[in-house]
Amino acid sequence: MSRVSVIPFGPQHSSFLEPMNLKLVMEEEKVVGATINIGYNHRGMEYAMAQDYKRTVFLCERVCGICSYHHSSAYVQAMENVFNVKVSDRANLVRTIMMECQRLTSHLLALGHTAEALGYENLFMQFFREREEIMMLVNRVSGNRVHYSMNTIGGLRKDVTYEQLKDIEKTMDIMEPKFLELQKVIRNDSTFRKRTRGIGLLKKADAESYCVVGPVGRGSGMPHDIRLTGFAGYGVDGMKYRPVVYEEGDVYARNNVRMDEVIQAVDLIRQALNLIRDGPFLTPVKGHPSGEGIGRVEAPRGELYYYIKAKGEQKLDRLKLRTPAFVNIPAIAAMIGGAQLADVAPIAVSVDPCICCCDR
Amino acid sequence: MSKMSMLKSTLKNLFSRPVTVRYPYQKTDIPENNRGRVVWELKKCIWCRLCEKNCPTLAIVTDKEHRTQTITRARCIACRTCVDVCPTNTITMEPKYSDAVYLREKHIYALDLKPFEYRIIQIPASERLVLKKKPGEPEVLDEVVVPLTEPPRETKTE
Repeated sequence: MSRVSVIPFGPQHSSFLEPMNLKLVMEEEKVVGATINIGYNHRGMEYAMAQDYKRTVFLCERVCGICSYHHSSAYVQAMENVFNVKVSDRANLVRTIMMECQRLTSHLLALGHTAEALGYENLFMQFFREREEIMMLVNRVSGNRVHYSMNTIGGLRKDVTYEQLKDIEKTMDIMEPKFLELQKVIRNDSTFRKRTRGIGLLKKADAESYCVVGPVGRGSGMPHDIRLTGFAGYGVDGMKYRPVVYEEGDVYARNNVRMDEVIQAVDLIRQALNLIRDGPFLTPVKGHPSGEGIGRVEAPRGELYYYIKAKGEQKLDRLKLRTPAFVNIPAIAAMIGGAQLADVAPIAVSVDPCICCCDR
Repeated sequence: MSKMSMLKSTLKNLFSRPVTVRYPYQKTDIPENNRGRVVWELKKCIWCRLCEKNCPTLAIVTDKEHRTQTITRARCIACRTCVDVCPTNTITMEPKYSDAVYLREKHIYALDLKPFEYRIIQIPASERLVLKKKPGEPEVLDEVVVPLTEPPRETKTE
């Protein structure tokens, strides 16, 4: 008869980038249960964002650093829904390109983080070296590495130039072989496979009952993707998109989804670059917002949802945001049962927990 | 051979130069349209207060009587709104961001200074978000005029 002990995992732990606490119930080396504590990074963003709808365009980017452009896109989409304006195709396609660029940086970070949690320091450095190239590209296009600040209600704040679009195309041609080279290690390296295959299983039924979104859901066989609804530039004629779905539901499958989406993002950027035409980039809006509206985008971690209720003045009545990390993190409890203590870090990291999004 | 899949890149990296740059001491490629910090060329200013009204973080204060523009650098998020909104192109954005601010200070642009020059004033303790003011702390600590060409930065010896 083995004794049950409880050990804390976090809030400060070398495998987490941000504070999160797991209370693991252990039977010797085996995890039999877990409690998840969040809230270490709560900043009261929802209240602050409802104070002034114009300033929120900049504030909503500060919710999270690795999906900042998705937050701002979701917010302006919700606002455009309230104002009932149609955004031009050019603005929509530029938004798509920048969103996919951010997906590249976010997925490369998640994959590098997984490599680090598994003890692959060298691979971690290589992922971050490639990520740096994308960050510099985004800096050249938007003017900042993290907070692009390109969006405004009705379109873009500033048009992109022909040289910048050419620069994106050129960088993608340089980067794609490098991604494919790194992909080989994730897929074929024997140690990597042994540490990730069959670990952290999330069955499809569990995934459905936890309502997981994004790469976690797609790794468990759920073809759930908001890009299929055709928001922003994904709905423009000529954009072809099919979600990446793996059936296994383990850490390996989730990493494969991310790795495939990296290649797919390059492809989507090329498609959008081919479709982009000259035209207006901003539809001006008048007056204060009034009424209700929603905005949904597919952030790197899954569906991001903004709800806005405005009452015809500068202050909003209510702003609710549902972030993908907040939905995915509870699913760690379902994955972790029966795992070894040494596998807890890779399992928790495979969800790509973004505590800034989660606590906001 | 899956076991040695990383050997090629490892050897390549072993004999190549480091990717990282020792940034403050070495030059790095900051793009021209990088949002670094805002600067004023006050002779062009028509005191329309549009930058003050549109600033999302309330970092800019326009004093029409004394003809000064004050910016709290620590509040500024370098969003470029003031540059876009300015009708006379008084405000421009420098790509350099490394020496935006070191201390809790305000930068004051006035007409008696050369273009792009500013005075530095430490934010008085009463305006800071602190619970208690330390006894004996002076309100305004010092006032410095920053010359147009900054002296070279002291290099640290490690």
